[in-house]
This record gives sequence, C-alpha cells and structure tokens, in this order.
Amino acid sequence: MNLKAPYIRIVVIGALICLLPLFLSSFYMHIAVLVLIWAFLACAWNIIGGYAGQHSLGNGLYMGIGAYAVAFLLDRFNMTPWLGLVVAIALSAGAAAFIGWIVFRYALKGAYFALVTIALTEAAVYVVSNIPALGGAGGMQMEYHGNSLYYMQFAGQNGYFFMGVLLVVFILLLTQWYRRKRFFYQLIAVRENEDAAEALGVDTVKAKIKANVMSGVLCAVGGVFYAQYFLYVGPRSVFGEVVSVQILIYAIVGGLGTTWGPVVGAVLLVPLSEITRAQLGNSYPGSQLLLYGGVMVLTMLFMPFGIMGLAERLHQRWQHRSTTQVVDSQGGEAS
Amino acid sequence: MTALLEVHGLTRRFGGLVAVNDLTFEVNEGEMIGLIGPNGSGKTTTFSMLSGALKPSAGTIAFNGERIEGIKANRVCRKGLARTFQVVQPFPDITATENVMIGAFVNVGGARQAEATAREMLERVGLTPKADTLAKELTLLQLKRLEIAKALATEPKLLLLDEVAAGLTSTEVDVMLRLVRQLNSEGITFIIVEHVMRFVMNLSHRCIVIDFGSQIAEGTPEEVLNNPAVHAAYLGEEASLA
Repeated sequence: MNLKAPYIRIVVIGALICLLPLFLSSFYMHIAVLVLIWAFLACAWNIIGGYAGQHSLGNGLYMGIGAYAVAFLLDRFNMTPWLGLVVAIALSAGAAAFIGWIVFRYALKGAYFALVTIALTEAAVYVVSNIPALGGAGGMQMEYHGNSLYYMQFAGQNGYFFMGVLLVVFILLLTQWYRRKRFFYQLIAVRENEDAAEALGVDTVKAKIKANVMSGVLCAVGGVFYAQYFLYVGPRSVFGEVVSVQILIYAIVGGLGTTWGPVVGAVLLVPLSEITRAQLGNSYPGSQLLLYGGVMVLTMLFMPFGIMGLAERLHQRWQHRSTTQVVDSQGGEAS
Repeated sequence: MTALLEVHGLTRRFGGLVAVNDLTFEVNEGEMIGLIGPNGSGKTTTFSMLSGALKPSAGTIAFNGERIEGIKANRVCRKGLARTFQVVQPFPDITATENVMIGAFVNVGGARQAEATAREMLERVGLTPKADTLAKELTLLQLKRLEIAKALATEPKLLLLDEVAAGLTSTEVDVMLRLVRQLNSEGITFIIVEHVMRFVMNLSHRCIVIDFGSQIAEGTPEEVLNNPAVHAAYLGEEASLA
C-alpha cells in the first residue's frame, strides 16, 4: 500500500472543504466553523484519550488556559494573539506536564484518572470566576479589530473557516505521521496492556506524560482559536466539565484512536446539536444535550469503536477476504 | 568470570506471608536453568522481582555486573532481561506484528525497522501466517508464541519463560522445546518456570527447586528428581517415605 496515500487524502479533502463558502449561508458557515473548532479539539483529546487510552474528562482545562491566555494578554497588554499563542502553548505544556507527572507517577488509572481531571477542570472554573483581572464569572470580551492579521481577527466567518481548515488539516497530518512513530505505538501498547508494555521496555509513565502534554498543548491551541472566533471567553464556555465532555463525545462517536474519527464525529454531531438548539432551544432548552446523551449510549452499545472503528473493521474484513482469494487463486503459493 | 545473573538473599513479603525467602543463586551465560516447585512456592514472584515488576523486600540482584533490584521493569528490559507472562499478556486490538514491534522499539527507532524485526521474530516462532491477525483472534498456542516473539524482539541476553508449555498438547510442547533449544544455541540464557516436567527436564542444564519460597535443592535434573526433599515438597512427607 502506498504510504503517502493517507496524507494526500487529508490534503485533498481539506482543499475540497475550502470550496464550502461558495455554497453556504452565513448561519451554516457559523456551524461549519464550530465543526472545525470541535473537530480540532476532539483530535487533540484523541491523543491522550484514544491512542493512550487515558480517558481524561478535563481537557477543557487546557482549552481554557489557551483561550484565557490570549484574551488576557490582548486585554491587558494589547499583545498580538500570535505571541499569546506562544504563551498559551507554554502554559498548557507546563500544566499538562505537571498534572501528568503527579497523576501518572502515582499510577492513577481509569476512573480515578477521569475523576482527577474533571475535578481540576471544575476547580479552574471557580478559580477563574474569582479573579477580577480575568473578568470573574462574567468572562472577558476581546476588542474587535476587523480584518487584522496582527490581531488574528477576521471580519465575517470565511477567514476563521480557512484558519479552521488549516488547523484540522494540520492535526490530521500530525496524527497520521505519528501513527507510524515509536511514540504512538508505545501509547497504543499502554492503552492495550500497561503491564505488558512496561515489560517490553516502554517507559509507560513517560509515554503518558508526553501524550498528556501533546494533547493539552493542542487543546490550548484550539482554545486560542475558539477565543479568536467568539472574541469572548467565559469560565463555563472554555473551562469546566460540559466543555470537556463535549470534546470527547465527538472522538468517541467518531472512533477512538483513529485519525479521522474525531473529525467524523464533529461533522455529524455539531450541526445536529446546533440545529436542534436553533429549532428547539427556546421551547425545550437543553434538548441538544439530551441528543448527545442518546447518541453516546447508542454508540457505546452498538459501535464501541465508533464510526471509523466500524469502517476500519469492515474494510479489514473485506481486504482479508480479497487477499485470501488471491492466495487461493495462486494455489497457496503466495507468502 | 562473573555470572550473568547473581541473586543474593532475595526476599519478598506480602504482609505476614513470606512468598520468597532468602533466595540465592547464580546463572551463567548460555545456561538454561529450571526453576521448579509446587504451586504457590514463589516462582512467579521471583520472576516478577527479577524483571522489575515487583520490588524485593530484601536482597540483591546483579545482572551483567550491574545491580538492578527495585528498578522499573522497562529499564530492566532495556538492559537485556526480558520475560514472558504465565497468563499471556497480548495487546489485543492490534496485529501480531504490531504487538512484536513494541518490543522491537527497545532497540530501533523507526517503524519500518521495527516492523522488519517483528516479522523476523514472528517467523522464528512460526507465526508468519498470523502476522496481520489481531492478537485477540489468536489461539492459546499462538499467543504463547507471540509472548516469546515479543520478548525476543527486545534482544534479551536473559529470557525468563513463565510456563510457556502449560496448556499445550504434546506435539506443541515438542515445537516449543525445539524453539527454546535453538534460541539457547544462539546465545540466549534462559530461566524456565514450568510444571510440564518433560519440558523443563529436557531443557535445563541445572534445576533450582523452591518450596514455600525457600530453596530446597539444586542440581542437574536427575539429581533433583532423586532428591527426597523434592519428593516431599511435591507429594508430601508420607508419600516420599513410602
């Protein structure tokens, strides 16, 4: 099989998606940007949750760090979000490394790891809500500058849309590239059987910390993008458990530990939830959350590996059948 | 010449229970050592301490002249001491080749090289036809071979085999015998924990017998089999007197 094919597929699909603004109205372009934001965040979570199998329920923490870093630095020092992005990356890397070090060093696993992460992201909500310099519970508005590269801002949605496409293409290429690297193989080994991985020379603690940092930094980048699009950050909109769970729902429904899964999940669920919110939000508030719950239960029951996992399995079975046919037709000589 | 492995006073307590008590032995390079004893005598606990999965309560372990007691399993493995597990421990949702690649990554950085090593190891243990099968779809014999291939891929100097013959048919035991003997002739030192006597007696140059965590006998397979203390341990005092 051509090893370059998956990369080409990502770039080609990314390029085709760029044609969407020609066809979509402003409302649907807004949904398209949301899809890209959540797809990117879900891909970022997929590294620690999908590949390394550590189900963090608190990646909103890193998204929030990213979003608040740019918002605060712009508000207070009129600093360009490009520099803010660098600060966001540094802060989230530090936080993810520190939390990962504490949590994995003491071998917190499964539900315990999930609980610690959810506690931290919730704690962040209350901490931020009580810091006046960060806007307190009301959050922070960011100054609007129109079309400005310096302020990483665009008038209208198209600029954000292209930025989002670039980010998602980038994270897909990154994931695809890492998928054939020792690091990701080690993460998968940790997920599949931690004791066996350790016995085969994998420094499982180090691998998990690295995955947490990579996932956290990318979530912070997603948070920066989120802040730049809405020009508003609030404790509950970027930190907290609701956001954190939203991030992982797309990855789980789309397919844990697959390159495309988180994107597929976001493409299917974000529009569904936005349209439900638009249609039923007034008469039945929270109905989109009910929808998420339902979809999650159905996925867990019928597609534990998500949509892409299912597709991969079907593809493998099909491929397996066709190779056995080849072997048969050659009289079993193929080896 | 110093021995490849020197164990001195190795002890492990679980609360009041002494699982391994003051075990002292040496393993020379190229040897095959059988570690035998009744169920619950401390064999697997000993393996767990040697491989770094469990910290000893007391005692020292020197491998290749370097003290390794209490260091983490992944570092022990990278020093050249690998193990297989009594209860097979595959990575279920990835292919056999990918399973073995994890071990190969100890010595190579690139996926392509690791895959080449992995396929070579699968060939050695006779799993080539199953190279692209998910580990969870393999049979017990195949999983036991996979365990060995995974450990071999780390290029060990010393390999600890924990009951690789248990549960296999007579023909399968023969296949496993040949494989281990071949690997030994290529320079890998073995410590073998096994209840299938045919397997361990055929392979071992020397046997160490433990009971209730303490060493009760040491010698060639024949010497050990004729040792009254060993009979007593396996069959009980009365039977050995009869």
